[in-house]
Amino acid sequence: MQHQNNGIWVSAEDLNRDDAFLKSAEQEFSIEELADAPTGWRPSRRDFLKWMGFSVGAATVAASCEIPVRKVIPYVTKPDAIVPGVANYYASSFVNGSDYCAILVKTREGRPIKIEGNSLSSVTSGGTSARAQALVLSLYDTRRLKHPGTIEDGQVKKLSWKALDEKIKGQLQLGGNVRILTNTIISPTAKKVLDEFVAKYPNTRVVSYDPVSHAALLTANQVCFGVRGIPTYKFAEADVIVSFGADFLGTWVSPIEHARDYTSRRRIHSLDKPSMSRHYQVESHMSLTGSNADMRIQIRPSEMGAAICALYNEVARATGAPTLDGPTLNEKAQAALKKAATDLLALRGRSLVVCGTNNVMEHIIVNKINDLLGNINHTIDFSVLNNLHQGDERDLVRLIHEMNAGQVAMVIVWGANPAYELPNADEFKQAFSKVNTRVSFSTVMDETTTLCNYVAPTHHILESWGDAEPKTGHYSLIQPTIAPLFDTRQAELSLLEWADSPNLNRQAEQPYYEYLKAHWTTEMKAKQSKYATGMAFWDMSLHDGVFEVPPAPRTVEFNPNVRLNPAAVTQPGSGKVEIVFYETVNIGNGQYAHNPWLQEMPDPVTRTVWGNYLSIPVEWDGKNKMTGWMGLEDGDKVEVEINGRKQVCTVVRTFGQAPGTVAIALGGGREKGGCGVGYGVNVNPWLPIDGGFIQYFAKEVKISGKVGVEKNFACVQHHHTMGLAARDAEGKRINADEEVLAYQGALTDRSIIFQAHVNDLPNLRKKMADFHQHASHLNEQTLYPDRTDYFSIGPKWGMFIDLNACIGCGACQVACVSENNVPVVGKNEVARHHEMTWLRIDRYYYGDLENPRIVYQPLMCQHCDNAPCENVCPVNATNHSSEGINQMAYNRCIGTRYCANNCPYKVRRFNWLDYTTADTFPANEERLFRVEEGDIPFYADNLVRMVLNPDVTVRSRGVIEKCSFCIQRIQEGKLTAKREGRPLEDSDVRSACQTACPTGAIVFGNLNNPNSQVSQAIKRHEELAYQVLEEINTRPGVRYSAKIYNA
Amino acid sequence: MSQPVAPVRHVLIEGNKTYHQISEDLCAPTERAPSREWILAFSVASAFTALYAFAVVWTIWKGIGEWGVNRTINWAWDITNFVWWIGIGHAGTLISAILLLFRQRWRTGVNRSAEAMTIFAVICAGQFPLIHMGRLWLAFFIFPFPNTRGPLWVNFNSPLLWDVFAISTYFSVSVLFWYTGLVPDLATVRDRAVGLRRKLYEIFSFGWTGSAKHWQRWESLSLVLAGLSTPLVLSVHTIVSFDFATSVIPGWHTTIFPPYFVAGAIFSGFAMVQTLTVITRKALKLEDYITINHIDSMNKVIVLTGTIVGVAYLTELFIAWYSGYIYEQFAFYNRVFGIYWWAYFAMMFCNVVSPQLFWSRRIRRSIWWTFFLSIVVNIGMWFERFVIIATTLARDYVPSAWSYYRPTWVEIAIFSGTIGLFFFLFMIFTRVAPVVAIAEVKAILKLSGDQYIGPKAHREVQPVTQQEVIAKYQDQN
Repeated sequence: MQHQNNGIWVSAEDLNRDDAFLKSAEQEFSIEELADAPTGWRPSRRDFLKWMGFSVGAATVAASCEIPVRKVIPYVTKPDAIVPGVANYYASSFVNGSDYCAILVKTREGRPIKIEGNSLSSVTSGGTSARAQALVLSLYDTRRLKHPGTIEDGQVKKLSWKALDEKIKGQLQLGGNVRILTNTIISPTAKKVLDEFVAKYPNTRVVSYDPVSHAALLTANQVCFGVRGIPTYKFAEADVIVSFGADFLGTWVSPIEHARDYTSRRRIHSLDKPSMSRHYQVESHMSLTGSNADMRIQIRPSEMGAAICALYNEVARATGAPTLDGPTLNEKAQAALKKAATDLLALRGRSLVVCGTNNVMEHIIVNKINDLLGNINHTIDFSVLNNLHQGDERDLVRLIHEMNAGQVAMVIVWGANPAYELPNADEFKQAFSKVNTRVSFSTVMDETTTLCNYVAPTHHILESWGDAEPKTGHYSLIQPTIAPLFDTRQAELSLLEWADSPNLNRQAEQPYYEYLKAHWTTEMKAKQSKYATGMAFWDMSLHDGVFEVPPAPRTVEFNPNVRLNPAAVTQPGSGKVEIVFYETVNIGNGQYAHNPWLQEMPDPVTRTVWGNYLSIPVEWDGKNKMTGWMGLEDGDKVEVEINGRKQVCTVVRTFGQAPGTVAIALGGGREKGGCGVGYGVNVNPWLPIDGGFIQYFAKEVKISGKVGVEKNFACVQHHHTMGLAARDAEGKRINADEEVLAYQGALTDRSIIFQAHVNDLPNLRKKMADFHQHASHLNEQTLYPDRTDYFSIGPKWGMFIDLNACIGCGACQVACVSENNVPVVGKNEVARHHEMTWLRIDRYYYGDLENPRIVYQPLMCQHCDNAPCENVCPVNATNHSSEGINQMAYNRCIGTRYCANNCPYKVRRFNWLDYTTADTFPANEERLFRVEEGDIPFYADNLVRMVLNPDVTVRSRGVIEKCSFCIQRIQEGKLTAKREGRPLEDSDVRSACQTACPTGAIVFGNLNNPNSQVSQAIKRHEELAYQVLEEINTRPGVRYSAKIYNA
Repeated sequence: MSQPVAPVRHVLIEGNKTYHQISEDLCAPTERAPSREWILAFSVASAFTALYAFAVVWTIWKGIGEWGVNRTINWAWDITNFVWWIGIGHAGTLISAILLLFRQRWRTGVNRSAEAMTIFAVICAGQFPLIHMGRLWLAFFIFPFPNTRGPLWVNFNSPLLWDVFAISTYFSVSVLFWYTGLVPDLATVRDRAVGLRRKLYEIFSFGWTGSAKHWQRWESLSLVLAGLSTPLVLSVHTIVSFDFATSVIPGWHTTIFPPYFVAGAIFSGFAMVQTLTVITRKALKLEDYITINHIDSMNKVIVLTGTIVGVAYLTELFIAWYSGYIYEQFAFYNRVFGIYWWAYFAMMFCNVVSPQLFWSRRIRRSIWWTFFLSIVVNIGMWFERFVIIATTLARDYVPSAWSYYRPTWVEIAIFSGTIGLFFFLFMIFTRVAPVVAIAEVKAILKLSGDQYIGPKAHREVQPVTQQEVIAKYQDQN
């Protein structure tokens, strides 16, 4: 072999051109060696492929652990109205006993997932409440009854509807007395159904009461004006408001409506000529309404009668009416009421006195005060009555008597839960057991249903047809937004069925729909003239959700024959300590205790969750210490004894709780029916009954010393004050915050809250101007580049929150939870400060230490343009958009929590545990709260998961989350505008908190658009607007206005 | 020995040691069967290590929610422990690098165990940034490497990322330095061993023959590594302090942090070295090599750094007052008199007051006082980090978010577990490698041996030449 490479050799043999070498070199790629390989099996390409195929296959099989499969099934035939990924909104109504709200139900792929307000209603004007916002969750309650049946030992034994109907009809035909026990029914059609039923079975009587009674008010109006009804209170027209314990912003009569009207007079429309209403609140505990008042007048609950008489006397003296010899009132309150009377008398006809007690004479005297002030027919309008409270607990006395006497053959319980709600529940239960047939329409196995022998579960309201007349001439429709989830039947339909109604079209697919429509296309249509045909009228009404008839003006006269009897008002008690029972905005009298969203919404004032707590006064030692009454601390347990009944309650210290009084909310200690079981104590058995009326206070209460400490005392806010003044031992005014924190300027100098008296606006404006100057001086030293240009390309999102319009009701918070799939974490976790709410409503006491005011501050991610959180994330999981939004990439987050530490506002939330069951290991799924049957975690159930908003990622364990400014809504709005080829408008993008707010305190929008609502609002409030912690140069996208009061 | 030795030099090797005796003494712990005390102590350390593993697995399985941290105080014991352990590690680097450059001969007695301590402390420290993550399984996100997740890069602005670099550099340089020092000694052990043991040490000593070229290269490498490590002594804890100093939280956002953290780290590091050496010299009968003079020197470092730390504490308070910035003022007021006042006073007492006792020569040279105060200082330094982290977060800007922190059993288990892990590693180390650097001790024998200097020096037994030593050695055998 001749070398091709000249003169290059590889070895001596090569150089010598050795034969053997040459031979082997020729056979460099010899196949003989392969041929010499062991005979038998020889690997081939095919074998290689076979073995590889087997290995990969085996590895795949071996490695494929079972992971949960959640199926997504496409529509076989797409329903007309549904475009996957696009939400549909249906107008409907939220009606539950005394609660009403005109709503729009947002549905996605046929699932209701969110409640919005219906702005067409003049009652609620698009506002909502926390209770309304939480409605969707109760639809997906796993403890809902799933079919009709008989109840044996507290368990439902399934029956078919037909079998049930036969049994009940059989009983009805025996002709015994039938009683239908309900809460207030405001549905005209349901009333018609009841009429039909009564017509068929004439021995029937409908007995209704309200979970929280307004019976005395109704009775007093009957006596004074000849109208058994609640008038419309025009808070928007009242310059002076005096409320005797009426929580009109939170729970009393029509809170959504009142909140809107009230705050319209609390905003600062003009800095130079501010006009604000002045609000006096006479009460013992710090109610939501009292917390917003300019002046709270603290009394013991048994002094309410005395306080009303005192105000009456002041007014009567000025107007020449005869004075009353009422009970004596403490001097401080007396003096304050004198001032209130002066204000009232100066503005006759433009003032309002309301009363929230349940004593007829007190209401009569208050009516008289309003009469003397000329408010009747002006700020108190009887032409439009409020129908939400029509019940009268005195009817129950008769019912119990009848039942005990064996005169009642059947009781049908519809909506009510007397075995829990009544003070004399034991008496009721005993009498109830003597009734032969006990039927319940309840949707869950509550305390009363357990005692029944038949249950005919009704639909959830989101599955129902119906209507409502919350106020005279204000009609509202209820339409189903989902097919019934379970084998339930609407209560109205059951009644019609049992009454063998001839008006019921049993062949129809939805018989009650036909029935309702028939009523609307005939009787309701006659109330209007706009639509000629019934069908057009029906379609439009259903589309709008509401139908309003202008009220006929009605004036009333105070009956001159009414005698004011000061002896009939509440007489001051002699007990050392008195107790107040009050209703909270979230739980009511236990009706909402089974809704985890509402349980986990902190009480606006005490900031506690999951249960009711005994509020005790805070005492000031005159030097530097605020201590709980009797030295008790938050979370201490005490034994409370009223009328010989003892219960252990957990204490929470509450500023503004009148000395010598304590208070506890209704609605705790539910025994049956859902996740609220076992949280708090049931205070209903403690409620005294006076003259047939349930009283929401007790004059004599014995409280033991500390008997223990509640480990899971769940309160989201440890610190309470933001500038309290107190008096020292010599009576000199001192700054209590300074003394307690022993450090000057500790809180009030922080740029978190600015507040001032309305007459002190010039000073405030100067103070704020100085502050802005100071802040900008500091901020000019920044090393950060100016990014104004960066944000000027597209929209720049921002928010404005008017603290004068925020009443602290919490609707926004629940709306946020609903919109953004914020997990529920349960009491234990909240007690450990692991709550997940993106939006919280901070509550600070300010003013006088012994009788403070409250400022509420909704605080969410401030979307800082110089966000401290963004710098410190090692993996860039949180960053800034050119639209000014601080964005969170959950998938990128590794959970170092540095961002949460570095957030000055502490609004970032970490998924400490697997709250949403987004992880695949069932072992991680936390049992958040006690469940009656089947121990499953809250979000693990497929039913509950239906409430999740598909547009928002469900976050897994170990990642940070926070307010996104409802980025999904922004995106949707931008796309809509783009698709329609027009600039973005305010109406395209509205955040969930904004739409939920009953008072319009939250405005959201594009700051780059000078005409947007938010730009306008900031401009209007320019001198009072500020950013929280402005001087640390975070440049937040949220602005607040200073809180102004008019004491 | 021709090299002049100043008469003021302390005796650093006692007991009239010969070179051979040094090898005998220092190799002995690796050659004899473990004592009953060692086995007992090792069992305890292993048990705590197991507890550590259990608590870590528990945390990963259940979530960070098993800890006592909350929405306001997102870091507490985790980062406290991290900074504490990192600080402890500093003495090793300081002794091996800066003292080497400064030609401090007393370092030879303690440098090996101090370096080992550094490595084990950094191992303990390095756990915390990982296990405190909500999603540990994605921890690799913090490394900047080309990836398929879009051009997704780490955030170079984040001090946590700087931590990643600082700690990994620190760990690798420390390991290199420590191991480089070990090579000749491992060879010594190898030469004395037989069978498998010999084979293993053969591998670990990289075929060291003790040739002049080896020694020359070894010396050069040691110096280069010392040069590399010197800035690390200052930079690592500076960067750790940036975790706090670059934040916006009052009480964290202070420029004094880097020097203050470095001083504190050296302070706590020396305290831990004292704790360990006091036990080690007794247990391994190394009193002749780790003498009272060593302990005395280290106590001087402790009183110096403790005083620096004390000055830093007072400076912080002064500057907070002087700044006129209410948030800063409140943060420091709260630190001293707030809800965690007891932690602050524990810190002040342990770190500033207690080391002042070392001004007394008698206390400085007392084994018991030294041991006791070294523990006190370590407790104090733990409190310092706790005060900085938890107290500051518990009361920051917005009072509605204020909260309180208390640890759960998981956090306590993890912390005590890392102490177990630390001793677990250290005790293995005492069994496999000479805890005092044989070669380096031999190098200073003639400068610091008690037969050459000090009151007991007697010329007649002084072996002058290598030949004499060998002859003597051969005679003995």
